[in-house]
This record gives sequence, C-alpha cells and structure tokens, in this order.
Amino acid sequence: MRQKEWKLIITFHTTSDAIAFEKACKETGRSGRMIPVPRELSAGCGLAWCTVPADRADMETFLKECSIECEDMAELLY
Amino acid sequence: MNLTANKKTLALSGVLLGAIAAVLAYMGNPKNMAMCIACFIRDTAGAMKLHQAAVVQYVRPEIIGIICGAFLIAVVTKEYRSTAGSSPMVRFVLGMIMMIGSLAFLGCPLRMVLRMAAGDLNAYVALIGFVAGVFTGTLALKRGFSLGRAYTVDKASGTILPIAMVVLFVLSLTTTLFVSSEKGPGSMHAPVFIALIGGLLFGAIAQKCRSCFAGCVRDIILMKNFDLLTIVGGIFVVMVIYNIATGNFNLSFTGQPVAHAQHIWNILGMYAVGFAAVLAGGCPLRQLVLAGQGSSDSAVTFLGLFVGAAFCHNFGLAGVAAAAATADAPAVAGGPGINGQVAVIACIVILFIIGFMPKNKKN
Repeated sequence: MRQKEWKLIITFHTTSDAIAFEKACKETGRSGRMIPVPRELSAGCGLAWCTVPADRADMETFLKECSIECEDMAELLY
Repeated sequence: MNLTANKKTLALSGVLLGAIAAVLAYMGNPKNMAMCIACFIRDTAGAMKLHQAAVVQYVRPEIIGIICGAFLIAVVTKEYRSTAGSSPMVRFVLGMIMMIGSLAFLGCPLRMVLRMAAGDLNAYVALIGFVAGVFTGTLALKRGFSLGRAYTVDKASGTILPIAMVVLFVLSLTTTLFVSSEKGPGSMHAPVFIALIGGLLFGAIAQKCRSCFAGCVRDIILMKNFDLLTIVGGIFVVMVIYNIATGNFNLSFTGQPVAHAQHIWNILGMYAVGFAAVLAGGCPLRQLVLAGQGSSDSAVTFLGLFVGAAFCHNFGLAGVAAAAATADAPAVAGGPGINGQVAVIACIVILFIIGFMPKNKKN
C-alpha cells in the first residue's frame, strides 16, 4: 500500500476551475496532480489539486495570477 | 468506521449497498429493479397522478429513504450544508434529460449495473453509451463548462425536500390521496417499512462513500482514479451472487424483465444520461444524496427528474418493455416509440448546446 505523506490540497468551487488550474500548472511546469477531493475535506465529489506543502506560497500567488478562487487550502496526510 | 479510508472500505460500502439491493429484490421489488432511481421517481410521480400509466404508480419509500438517510447522516456528522445558486433552471433541464434518457433505456445507471449483474446483455450495450456520454461531458468540462459555484444559503432551504419527503410518506400511509398499481412493476414492491429502512441505509451509506455512477467513469477518464469504481464493483459482485443463487441470472438479450433490445436507443438513452450527469455534477442517485445533504441545486435537479418522468408517460416518450407473444397478443419488440426517439435526439442536441456553447467557455 502506498505510504501516506503530508500534502497540500487545494479545493475549488467548480470542477472547471480545478481543470483550468491543472492546465495552468502543467503549462508552467509546476509539480502536483489532480485528485478527487479527499473525503476528510468535503462530502462533495469534486476535483482538487495535490502538491507538496512547501508549494503553499507559490500556489497562493499563482492562484491570484490565474484569477482562480480556491475554496480551501489544507495540509493533510494523503 | 470510515468507509472511504481506502479501496477495501470503499469496496465494503459497495457490498453493503449491494446487500441492501439484494434484500429489497428478495422482498418483492420488481426483477432486475431492486433499486432504480429513475423508475422509482417515475412510480412516485405516477402515484401522485402526475401521469396516468396505470402499471407504474406507487409511492416508493426507497426514494424518500435515500433523501432522508443522506439528510440524517449529514446532520449527525455535521456535513449538512445548505447551498444554492448554481444555475437552477439548467439543472432542472438536466434532470428532465436524465429521466428521458433513463426511461428510453428503462433504468438509471444504478439499474443498468443491476441489470448487468443479472446477465442482461442490453445493459452492457447501454454501458457503451453511458461511458461515451460521460466522456463527452468531460470534454465539455475541459473546455470550461461550468454551472457556476453554489453559495451557502439559509439552513432552512436544504431542509425543504427532506421534510416534503416525510410529509409524502406520512400521507401515503394515512390517506387515499395517492394511487397504487394493481398490476405491472408498480404493483411489485417490498413491504413499506423494509423499503423505507433500505432506502435510509442506502442513502446514508451513499452519502458517506460518495457513490456516483457518472463520477466513477469521470474520475477514471480525468485522473485514472478507480476509487468510485470500487464501490460499483462491490454492488455488482453482490448482485451477481444474489442472481445466481436465486436463479435470476440469465445471460441474454431477450427474455429480460422490463427491458428491450433496441440497441441504438439503449446506447443513445444512456449516452444522454451520462452526458447530463457529468454536466449536473452527478448521476440520479448522487443528486438525491446531494439534495439530502443540503444542496437546493440538486433538489431542483430532483424536481427535473420528477417532472421529466411525468412528461415521459404523458407524451409517450418512455421506452416499452419487450414481450414475447402470447395467445392473446403478438410479440412486442419494445423500445421507445417515435416520440421517445425524437425526444432522445433532442435531448442530446440540447446537451451539446448547454455543454459547448461559447458563453460557457471560461474567459
């Protein structure tokens, strides 16, 4: 079984925001991947961006650059 | 116990959902229809005289149970969130489309899986359309389709549908306001309180594990994530075992209960359902669960399903089950009539307009 590690999880208000952010991250070579929103964070079934906690500041800046509003940004074992 | 901790617990939740379906099938629900969201909403709409199809009228406690079960578990686990404001009328239309597509095929995605588990090859044909529909929906998402975000609203808003369901249930037991079929699928049902308890448990488990038939395909396409598919796998395995054990497994296209072998309409019907479900953010089951946990947007989608069911039977859009010839009547090939065929095509055109209109492109 995969070893769980601390991750930074970014959730979004809409699925299209999550997909747009994934596209922007890939285009700019940022690390991370799309995952289903972890159950610990939400009873919803949307998509989230998962990266390392050290990227928090960069992610906050990049979200503003992309004009995408995140719903939540949380660190958890994933 | 955390049902979403890993794939094993997700599979267990699927097994539990499958076990509930098996009990309901054993206790009297129609064959290969232990639990069907579209059929049961259609039956309930008929019981309330929104349509006059005499063989499909019965207030299904399972629907009431699913909504109220999701509501109760969400309140107990503090996950109840009253939200609204995400394109309600588009969701209403998507709900109607999901119902029209489902009744062309004769079943929602949940019943499609139950039919597959009983060996109904028509359901495997329909699965092709469903997966293609979900794939088309994900293309729309990638092009920027969005119904917009939902906002937190007054707590009371999310309680309206669960309360309405309780009132409906009480009235169905204590008055003669509603009608019940004397023959046909509507006359076949598990005892009321077993159906209600089954629905409550089904709704609560579905809320905890977030089971969604469109979501599982969407997650595989977008992220190669198989978590939600694990739940569907659990349901499928349990129902295969149940059907084999009870002699209901029949691997064929013909002789299947409440089904037809019009392949093109099975495919196109479920194509519309898969496409609409991705745009609406969940299959019919998921919409009921989301409505239960406080989403007024999903409650509106439920109303779309409800009105769509009435449309289907009032205007001849629903598919007809195939039937073998008898001494009194010739064989019936089944499937949707011309009205239903036109409606399914129109629904698919509308879905492309909703999903791919330039105004829906972000920026």
